[in-house]
Amino acid sequence: MSRNQEEPVNNRIEEARLAHGLSRQELADKVGVHYQTIGYLERGEYSPSLALSLRIAKLLKQEVSELFSLTPFKKGK
Amino acid sequence: MSKKNKFYWFEGVTEKGVNALLSDENPKFRWLRTQRNRRVLVVLMAVGLVLTAIGSYWPAMKSVFSSNGVSLVVYSILAISVIFLVLGGYSLLRISVRSIADAPDELLDERQVVVRNTSYRYAYYAMGYLILGLFLLMLFGPQLQMFQSEGNDGSFLMIAALFAYSSMPSMVMAWRERDI
Repeated sequence: MSRNQEEPVNNRIEEARLAHGLSRQELADKVGVHYQTIGYLERGEYSPSLALSLRIAKLLKQEVSELFSLTPFKKGK
Repeated sequence: MSKKNKFYWFEGVTEKGVNALLSDENPKFRWLRTQRNRRVLVVLMAVGLVLTAIGSYWPAMKSVFSSNGVSLVVYSILAISVIFLVLGGYSLLRISVRSIADAPDELLDERQVVVRNTSYRYAYYAMGYLILGLFLLMLFGPQLQMFQSEGNDGSFLMIAALFAYSSMPSMVMAWRERDI
């Protein structure tokens, strides 16, 4: 295994964002990133830094562990 | 955002310029940002760079094509046009990648910084191969009689190399990234 092989990080950002009635642009503005970065995060194509994860979790009023996981989330949970 | 438009001397960009490209306020260049169009632009830029590089051989072409004074005018117009076309291509390329390749850290988010840094890594490799090619040209060019004496001081090759150096990170980014 490569020393720097990136492990996919699963997340529930889209679900939480929609629950808060936020668009990608609004969430992006609030956490200080480009709106496309939110798209990349939601599709799991980019793993955020700890600082960004904490900012997103705080804004969406969730624990980081509720939003991000190394194992896939169960649907509807 | 501050009202003052900060100029980043080292990167050659302005704060407002980068922010305007990063936002979608101006839809004028949106058509440039599809991956297909960006790749077409990269190919055109590469062709322009090659044309500029072989500009050093144009004086020889000039003497072959014609013996009257018209050829000098045609040659001059052609040479200036190619340089301006490459300059235009370079500007469009920067716009197509929202100036991310040239922007400083403080104007980008963490993903964009990663994208920019990765593009620079590949651009560094590409420039290495380009320099290797120039060395081979320098080594074997004279034996292969690739250089004509008339007017060939290698200046066009240097101009092309400078353009390649400046535009390579944007070219790499324009080619690789799906969404910009």
